[in-house]
Amino acid sequence: METPQGTPESMDEFEREMSQACERRPAPPSLKRKILERRSRQNTERLHRRVVFWQRLAACLLLVAALGGVLAWRNAVERRKGEAAREQVFTALRIANHALNAMNAQLTGRTNEAQ
Amino acid sequence: MARDWQPEFEQLIDEHQSMVYSLAVRMTGDRGLAEEIAQDVFLELDRHLSKIESPLHACFWLRRVTMNRAADALRRQRVRGLDLWVEMDENHGAPPEVKPSPLGARLEALLATLPAPQRAALVLRYQEDLTPEEIAATLDAPVATVKSHLQRGLKLLRAKAEVCLKEFVRNGNTPGNA
Repeated sequence: METPQGTPESMDEFEREMSQACERRPAPPSLKRKILERRSRQNTERLHRRVVFWQRLAACLLLVAALGGVLAWRNAVERRKGEAAREQVFTALRIANHALNAMNAQLTGRTNEAQ
Repeated sequence: MARDWQPEFEQLIDEHQSMVYSLAVRMTGDRGLAEEIAQDVFLELDRHLSKIESPLHACFWLRRVTMNRAADALRRQRVRGLDLWVEMDENHGAPPEVKPSPLGARLEALLATLPAPQRAALVLRYQEDLTPEEIAATLDAPVATVKSHLQRGLKLLRAKAEVCLKEFVRNGNTPGNA
């Protein structure tokens, strides 16, 4: 009978030979040491990767902050320049207004004299 | 959910290295590759240690992952077109092992010539003493398929044994009356 029944009693001679032939083999003595070494190496690499990741993240944040700072500074400079230009325009307009008022007064005076 | 059992990685290696290595050796037929698979399996266990709930779960998990890894290795070997079935006695720097009886060694060598699914079922059946249901759970296959693999594998092995193992036939254990 070839159906495996799962009990030693139901095994025939061939299956018993198979069970003996398939006994567990001892692992190489160095296997445990190699596993622990690889584990230690992997843990170190993982830690290193994590440190590198955080370093890169910090560098990116620093870069973004620096770029933001530069942009904000440039924005402030532009705004200051804009305000100065506006002040200059207002001053020029005030001067022009003053000159036009003076001209208008002169013209009014001359018109009155001519009449 | 709190667990009573706290797995110790080194203790798990001590307890199961022989099982994992033997499964890998019998599935791949290559001691060097088997050692590599065993290392990978235990390192994967280390990564999943928090999910292991009991010693039985650890054993089941190790068997399952070992069989999967061995199947992957066989598939990779086939894709690369390498001749996987190196001699069973070929030594890849591994220390000499305890030799089984001559008949056992022949049977083991014949086992290595079976198709991978049948070999997997037979190895789990005769090395690990699992029932077809347990083998099905380990290999993630239907029970009927596992039973079929076991029957066909045994039949094939008997046929090969009849041809190769003269002493076995001399004892009257032919496939017909075995």
